[in-house]
Amino acid sequence: MSDKTQAIFTGDRCLSCTSCMANCPVMAAIKDYRGPKLVGPAHGRMHFSQEDIEATLEFCSNCKSCDRACPSGVAVSTLNMLQRAEYYKTHPHTQAEDMIAHGERAGKMVRMMPFGATFANIGMEFGKTLGIFSKLGLAGERDMPAYASTPFKDLYSRIKQTAGGKKIVMFTGCFINDNEPQVGEAFVKVMNANGYEVLIDKGFNCCGSPLVVTGYLDEAKQHADNNADRILEWKKKGIPVVTPCTSCSLMLKEEYHELFAEHKFHEAAENVYDAFEFLEILQERGEFNDNVKPISQKLLYHVPCHLKCQAIGLPAANILEEFGANVQTADAGCCGISGNYGFRKDKYDISMKIGAKLFERVKRKDFDKVISDCGTCRMQIHHGSGIKPCHPIEILAAAYQ
Amino acid sequence: MKPFDVIVIGGGLAGLMAAAVAADNGQRVALLTYGSGSLPLASGAIDFLNAKAPDVAIKNLPAHHPYKKIGLKACDAAAKFFVDIAAKADLPYNGRLSAQIPIVTAVGTLKYSALVPESMDASNLVNKKKIFVVEIKGLKDFYAAMIVDNLKKIFPDKTFEVAKLDLNLLGGRDITCMDAAQIISVNEQILADGLKTLDVGDDDAIIIPPIFGLEGNSSRAAIKSQLRAEILETTCLPPSPTGIRLQRAFIKYLQSSGVRIFENSKVVRGVVDGKKVTGVVVENSVREKVFPARKVILATGGFYSGGITMRDFDQPREPIFDLPVFFPTGAENWSNEQLFSDEPQGFSMTGIFTDESLRPIDESGEILFENLHVVGANLGGSDFVFERSAGGVAISSAYKGATS
Repeated sequence: MSDKTQAIFTGDRCLSCTSCMANCPVMAAIKDYRGPKLVGPAHGRMHFSQEDIEATLEFCSNCKSCDRACPSGVAVSTLNMLQRAEYYKTHPHTQAEDMIAHGERAGKMVRMMPFGATFANIGMEFGKTLGIFSKLGLAGERDMPAYASTPFKDLYSRIKQTAGGKKIVMFTGCFINDNEPQVGEAFVKVMNANGYEVLIDKGFNCCGSPLVVTGYLDEAKQHADNNADRILEWKKKGIPVVTPCTSCSLMLKEEYHELFAEHKFHEAAENVYDAFEFLEILQERGEFNDNVKPISQKLLYHVPCHLKCQAIGLPAANILEEFGANVQTADAGCCGISGNYGFRKDKYDISMKIGAKLFERVKRKDFDKVISDCGTCRMQIHHGSGIKPCHPIEILAAAYQ
Repeated sequence: MKPFDVIVIGGGLAGLMAAAVAADNGQRVALLTYGSGSLPLASGAIDFLNAKAPDVAIKNLPAHHPYKKIGLKACDAAAKFFVDIAAKADLPYNGRLSAQIPIVTAVGTLKYSALVPESMDASNLVNKKKIFVVEIKGLKDFYAAMIVDNLKKIFPDKTFEVAKLDLNLLGGRDITCMDAAQIISVNEQILADGLKTLDVGDDDAIIIPPIFGLEGNSSRAAIKSQLRAEILETTCLPPSPTGIRLQRAFIKYLQSSGVRIFENSKVVRGVVDGKKVTGVVVENSVREKVFPARKVILATGGFYSGGITMRDFDQPREPIFDLPVFFPTGAENWSNEQLFSDEPQGFSMTGIFTDESLRPIDESGEILFENLHVVGANLGGSDFVFERSAGGVAISSAYKGATS
C-alpha cells in the first residue's frame, strides 16, 4: 500500500460511473440523499467555500457499500466523513450527537460510580419509557445498549492465564468492554487455547469510529495518534494487536490512514489483526489448536459491512465450518444500524428500512444461532428480529474443552 | 482456508456467468470482485455480433477470434444457460443466436441484440398502430419528444403521442430510472394507474423508461395485467435497472448455489507451481491473503477495467499472471483518430490469446498454465465495441472456460 490509498487522493479517480449509487442502501431507502457519488468524490473535491455545504451529507451512514462497489478504488465514504468534519467546523453538534459519539466517555463515568451500571441501566429504562431519549434526538424505539455489571477490563484481571509464552494485545473496543464482556472472555479463552497470553493495554482509547461518523474529526485524530503510538510500541516488542470488533479493526487497519494520511498509521496498521483473521493465519501456519469439539450447529452468518471491506475472506466461517458447523451467509445486505447512525431519531426509520431484508431472513429461523462479528450489527438484528445473535468467537470458545 | 475447486477473478458479466456455470457443475466456487462490475451500467441485452444471423457470422470469423476458440456449440449452450439463470430469478429473456431482436434506445433508435429482456423486446412494434412514449415528471435523462422524432424516421406510417405522467416522484434528489424503478417496485399501482389514463387499445404500444422494478419481472407482470397495450422499456443512462436486474439474477443464483462472493478483493498475483496455478493472492490495506484453488478463471476485463494495463506504449500487460498480451494491429495502427467514425479502433484487438480451452498461450502457441482460463474482455483478437460482441464473448467464453 502507498499514499495512493489516502482518501483525498482517490477522488480524482472517480469516473462518475454510478456504481456506488446502484449499491447504496441509504439511497434505496430514501429519496432525500443525493448519493455517494455527488456527495463524496464530486463535492469532496469541488467545494470551495464554507457556505457551499451539501445538505444531504448527513444521510451517509459510512457503511462503505460505495467503497466496495467502486471499480476505481475511490474511498467514497471516507471522503464523505471528511466533508462531514468540514461541516461541523462551522456548525454546532446537538446534544444527541455529543452523546452517541462519546460512548467511551459515558462508559467511564458509569464505572466511576458505585453500582453505576445498574443505575445507568435503570436510568436508560426510564429514559426510554418517559420518552426522554426521543426528546434528545435519539431513537426512542431502541433500547440503549445496557451496561454489563462488570466491564471486560475488570473481568479480564480475574482470568487466570499462563504467562511466559506467546503474547497478543487485545484491543477490546468500547462495546465489548462496556456491554458484551462475554465476547471478550470468549476471545481470551480461544487465544489461550492457541497458546497466546492475552494482554490488555489500558492506554488505548476508543478507536474513534463513532467520533468520525459524527464529525468530531479532531478528537478522532487524538485517539488515532494515541492508539497508533501504542500499537507501534507493541510492534517494536513483536506483539500483535488483535481485536474481535470489525469496525475497530477497520478503523485501525485502514481508516486512520485514509483519513489522516500519515505514514505512521500504515506502519501501525501492519501490526493489527481482526480476531478470526489472526486465527486463520495461525491455521495456515499449522499453529492452530484443532483440539475442538465438533460443532454441530447450523449457523446463519451476517457478514458485517466493515468485515467485507477488509478483503480477508470469511475466516470465521472457514474455521467454524472446518469443525463441522454448517455456516450459511445471510446475504441480506447491510443491517442498517451502521454504528451510531441508527441511534439517531431522524435516521431510525432509514436504518430499519435498510435492515428489513436481513430481519426477514433471520425470522425464518432455519438455524440454531445467528452469528456476526460486529457489536452494533448484533444489536440491530436483535432489535429488528427479536433474535439475539452472538459473536462467532463465542461459538468457537464453547467448542474448546 | 480449504482450496476452492474454482476461483473466478472478476465480478462483471463474464465472471458472474463463469461462477454460475462452475457452481451448476457442482463445484465449490469463490468469486473475487473489486468493484461491482459493469452490469449496473449496462442494458442487460446480450449482443453476439452485429449481424442478422450471429451464428452464421461467427462461422465466418478469422481463426484468431475468441468465438473460433469457443466454438458455436458452446455459444449456443451459453445462451441457453444464460436464459435459464435469468428465468430462475423470474427475469424472462427472449432470443437465440440465429436472429436479432430490436430494442428501443433512450434516444429512440433501434438497437439489435441476440438475447434481450422480454420487457425490452420491440419485435412487435412494427405491427402497432399507435405508439405512446411516456415521459415521467421529474425523471431525468428521458426525453419522449426526441424518442418520437427518431422513431418516426424508422416507422413513418405510425401515429405517435408523447404522454406525460406525474407519479409524484419529486421531493428529494433528481430522480434516475433506478430511483423510479425502486419506488415502483414497492408501489406498482402508481404506474399502472398512470398508464391507464392513456387512451390505448389492443393494437397500440407504450414505450416507457426502464422502471419496472429492480428485481425480476413481478412489477412488470402486475402492471401488464391491467393494460391491454404492449409496454416496452427502453435503455437508459446508468444506473440502469435492466442491467441491475440481470446482475441481481446472477447474484441470487450464486448465493443459492453456495458460491462465496468476496468483495473488495483485489487480486495482485497468482501462486504458481510450474504450469499449475495453486491459488491467488489478494492484497488488502495492510497484508496479503492467499486464496487456494484447483482452477482459476481470469475474468478481469480489458483496458476499461484494469484486466489489461499499459504504462508504456506498445507494452500492454496483464497484471496478475503477467500473461503475454498480443496487439495484432501493431503500434502504427493503434488508434483511429476519428473517434466516432464507423471504423474499428486498432488497440481494441489487444488481449490474451488462448488455446481452445481458453488457456493462455505464448507466441509459439505453448500453453502457459494448465488450469487457468481466460474469459471475457481480456481475450484478444476481437474488437468487441465495433463488432458488438462484448456480451456474447463474455457469456460464451465464461461457459467454455468453466466447463473446460
